[in-house]
Amino acid sequence: MLLLFVAVLFSCQESENPTINEKGEMIVKFDNYVGNQTMVLDELGSTNYRYTTAKGQSFNVTRFGYYISHVKLSGPNGEVFVDEMHASADESQIKGYYRVVQGESDTYNIHLKDVPAGQYNKITFTLGVREDGIQEGAVGGILDRAAGGWFWNWNSGFIHYLFEGHSPSSPREQGELTNRVRYHIGGWKNIPSENEDPQRFFDNNVEVTLDFDATVRVSESLRPSPHIHMDLLKVIGDADFETENNIHSPAAGKAFAQRIAGAFIVDHTHQ
Amino acid sequence: MITLYKTRVRLFGPALLFIMVLIYGCESGSEQPRIDLYQFEKPAHFPEPTYTFRNNQVNEKGFKLGRRLFNDPSLSRDGSISCSSCHVQSSAFADISLHPFSFGVEDREGKRNAPPLFNLAFHKEFFWDGGVTHLDFTPILAFENEVEMDIEFPEVVARIQRHPEYPRLFKEAFDVDEVTGPFVLHALSQFMLMMVSADSKYDRYVQGDKEALTSLELEGLKLFRQHCESCHQEPLFTDLSYRNNGVQRNITDLGRETVTEVPQDRAKFKVPSLRNIEVTSPYMHNARFETLRQVLDHYTDGVTEQVTIDPKVFADGKPVIALTSDEKEKIIAFLKTLTDPGFLSNPIFFNTND
Repeated sequence: MLLLFVAVLFSCQESENPTINEKGEMIVKFDNYVGNQTMVLDELGSTNYRYTTAKGQSFNVTRFGYYISHVKLSGPNGEVFVDEMHASADESQIKGYYRVVQGESDTYNIHLKDVPAGQYNKITFTLGVREDGIQEGAVGGILDRAAGGWFWNWNSGFIHYLFEGHSPSSPREQGELTNRVRYHIGGWKNIPSENEDPQRFFDNNVEVTLDFDATVRVSESLRPSPHIHMDLLKVIGDADFETENNIHSPAAGKAFAQRIAGAFIVDHTHQ
Repeated sequence: MITLYKTRVRLFGPALLFIMVLIYGCESGSEQPRIDLYQFEKPAHFPEPTYTFRNNQVNEKGFKLGRRLFNDPSLSRDGSISCSSCHVQSSAFADISLHPFSFGVEDREGKRNAPPLFNLAFHKEFFWDGGVTHLDFTPILAFENEVEMDIEFPEVVARIQRHPEYPRLFKEAFDVDEVTGPFVLHALSQFMLMMVSADSKYDRYVQGDKEALTSLELEGLKLFRQHCESCHQEPLFTDLSYRNNGVQRNITDLGRETVTEVPQDRAKFKVPSLRNIEVTSPYMHNARFETLRQVLDHYTDGVTEQVTIDPKVFADGKPVIALTSDEKEKIIAFLKTLTDPGFLSNPIFFNTND
């Protein structure tokens, strides 16, 4: 009886085409820019203003980053890879959530594993954390508020995209700090308008879809790496730091969220 | 365990009975199956719980750990208050009636009446404005609010990690080598999830004990269903919606508008459950009323025109609800049948470390 079982198992394995199950990896690299300058962080309180907005207001960056989730790859011949998602209290069980934090270079590379061998020329991801990362309850790792997760306590949800800095154009004070600019873009649900009721809440998760500059091949021995550039200036857009310097709610973040997708481009791809 | 056993037999049929008997026979030498006090059980007449039990199953060790955290003042910034300072079991885990607004660290006074805690497994949103969307996240707001415990959540977890006993208790409850935020929240949720209040005289009545309510209380129930039920829906005695019942004379607290960011939600607050209402005075988010009679008088005579006023309490230029004095007394008599003495004195919630 046992022998029969083993025989069946083995015969199944042998009958399958080995190339169908071939898996590989891809490393997606994120580089953050401010206009055409590489992003550099300054100390809190710094008056060294390296960058200038479209409105001509100078500023610097003291903290910056964003969450990425629901990564998907697709290829010209119908190849599809969907990164597995799992929110869990146990950090080692969390799958599919990433956070790019400026100044922490090990967070710049998203390492996709178990990608089916084949050709790929497009990547899709969610900028932010969707409902499935919130409504499962307390989660660990980069989503743990106690471990530095960017989580709102008063309006449950994550800050998808975070920029903090100083600008001489901003009159905002934050404790001892002056000229503060803080953009915390969050919000994960829409309750649509109905009859005379307006829309409530704002889903500021952003779906980003980018074509690679070339088709790449994934195999057991080929690990391609697309390089994605993100430009903070595009997200700031025509905002005025004199009045728009303290964004901390879904409604306030909406205009910025709408510019996020356009801030990402694939700069080049390493095969 | 008894209920689990019965459920299985019902589900899988008598064919499994023999196997079950074998398993149980092996498992324990005792002939009396132990009743697990620390297992969440949905009351038969309640809706399905909304809590994500698949991620956090209540068990004795997690519950007791949560109970200890709930009562631990060292988790506030200056060590002065714990969750239990403002959530007192004899008041259905609301604050005592002497505190219309609770006192946080350094006796800082809050701006809303501390809500009671029970049947939380069946709610979808928490706090008066419903900004918190999962029970696990509720303690973060209480810890970090500067008029409550005024401590950053990372510092709470750091203090627990440094504690001489907590790391071992977390290891035993959750099998973790390091205490992290989510497990602290899971332990607290386990404690709060067990706060089920479903054994009042009213509950016995709706479950078939026709003697449980007096004729006066029954008349009150009838009036309640006629005048109050549309918002205070049985069996939770709330429809979980947000409404402006006109309790603020001048609107100073924006309520639900703070989280939904639309003026149509101005001064709306979550409809509170009326279970255990006898022991949770004062009433309303702003603690405006001390007695149930004052509350009913507000609905019949006090409500005035106001932006966003709920059409169920004010329409055509006057209050919608009309009740005689006698009818009000009957409704109040019924409301007192929602008191659940077993819940208010259940020893599993007592502050002990065993």
